[in-house]
Amino acid sequence: MEKNFILAGFGGQGILLAGTILANAFMLDDKNVTWYPCYGAEMRGGTVNCEVVVSDTEVSSVHKKDCDYALVLNQQSFDRFVEHVKIGGTIVANSTLVSETKPRNDINYVFAPMGKLANDLGTSKVTNVVSLGVLSSVVDTISISALKLAIEKVLGEKKKDLLPLNIKALLSGAELIAKV
Amino acid sequence: MSKNDKVLIKGNYAIAQAAVNAGCECYFGYPITPQTEIGEYLSGKMQELKRGYVCAESELAAINMVIGAVSTGAKAMTSSSSCAVALMQEALSYAASDELPVVLVNVMRAGPGLGYIYPAQGDYNQSVYGGGNGDYKIVVLAPSTVQECIDLTYRAFYLAHKYRNPVILLADGLLGQMMEPACFGEYPYPEIDNSSWELSGAKNRNSRAIYSCAKDEQKQIEHINHLFEKFELISKNETSWEEFETEDADIILTAFGSMTRNIKAAMKVLREKGLRVGCLRPITLSPFPHQRINQLAKSGKDFVVVEMNMGQMFKDVRYAVNGESKTELINRPVGEWLKVEEIVSAVEKIMEKNYAASV
Repeated sequence: MEKNFILAGFGGQGILLAGTILANAFMLDDKNVTWYPCYGAEMRGGTVNCEVVVSDTEVSSVHKKDCDYALVLNQQSFDRFVEHVKIGGTIVANSTLVSETKPRNDINYVFAPMGKLANDLGTSKVTNVVSLGVLSSVVDTISISALKLAIEKVLGEKKKDLLPLNIKALLSGAELIAKV
Repeated sequence: MSKNDKVLIKGNYAIAQAAVNAGCECYFGYPITPQTEIGEYLSGKMQELKRGYVCAESELAAINMVIGAVSTGAKAMTSSSSCAVALMQEALSYAASDELPVVLVNVMRAGPGLGYIYPAQGDYNQSVYGGGNGDYKIVVLAPSTVQECIDLTYRAFYLAHKYRNPVILLADGLLGQMMEPACFGEYPYPEIDNSSWELSGAKNRNSRAIYSCAKDEQKQIEHINHLFEKFELISKNETSWEEFETEDADIILTAFGSMTRNIKAAMKVLREKGLRVGCLRPITLSPFPHQRINQLAKSGKDFVVVEMNMGQMFKDVRYAVNGESKTELINRPVGEWLKVEEIVSAVEKIMEKNYAASV
């Protein structure tokens, strides 16, 4: 079984890093996984996205026609990727920056105030990790324990001091939808 | 971390670390997207290991620095991308003629001309047939996953030194930029003894020279014949490819590099629809698996080539099939890889056209 995720937002929101953490989590869960970024000239300010494909067997193609899940952190990404969600798929949006509209009726919508929660935790910089927490509560195959290990791995020794805040952001994100 | 642990790593970094593991002593390069991470990674790593690293003033300089380094028997490489690899063609012709173990990594982007940074497969001809002058052959390896970026980088160093021939690792922007779990293991090949030819200082032996000029016509003829006999041997020993479900197939999809992934996925979809489709994917583009393709064509199997260029490998497949069966092309010049759905519907159309009576 193969599932693919599109993660999108504007440059600086930590989209590629969120994708890297997600891909690491799948790897730690012994899944096959591929991470592929857009790598244009959109480093800061513009929109940025990456695709994560996970499979029990060999991962086939990237750059797929549509996705099972889209995680979008800004309005521009919502508008663009809502068209690329598979019928029956789910779009998970940061309602702090995305207005809660439902342009299609053949997909599922999850709106959660990820940016606001991150600000409440002290910094909007952890919006990406909050969003992974939200995603894990929507997608059964993403385990919180693997995400925790993945964050630890990605932060490494150098940024170990940021671990408690990020774990808190992850766990708060995972509980966000139940509260909404 | 043990050497057998899986790490999530970008194709470019995987190639760079594999080169380090293979014992690459010198790297020379000039930055260009989408392969800049190779040079970036090695700029720190080589210094750490007290090996050679030069950010050259141009690609032309970089490849000629590699020629200088490998002349001494050292393992050395450069990496670049399409339009900049074009600048290296003269040096590749020299290196092939001089029988030097140059390793060149080309992470393909779009062409022709400056093109752009999105991925493409337009350098098949440039790599396999070469843009340098005269009769020469390069060994070309085409990875399809990040794991293969590692495995084939190892193999590139081995083959270059074993046969004293330039080797190109032909990846693309997709592979260079993607991350996948991969395992480095140990460099799996034996070290090659270069002492019979390397320029290591002539103390206690006669002087040697490596040069690419024979004023004597007969000598030049013999030299070229020798190069081609050597390549025959490489073809016999090293030609490699992968096949999936070809045995009962009516149609065999063929692709190289990362497009392999898409044809394998398309094959699964077509099989589920009850169509007998297989896949064949050359790992060595040069030497090319002509014989095997011809053998399969003779048993009545048609070939559909899927590639991100205007039909460059298609010509080699058609040459290998040699009229024994039908050959078709599904392609797009550059950019977003042909999607699995597009390949499936194109193959269905081909089947409708070619087998209208039998389907």
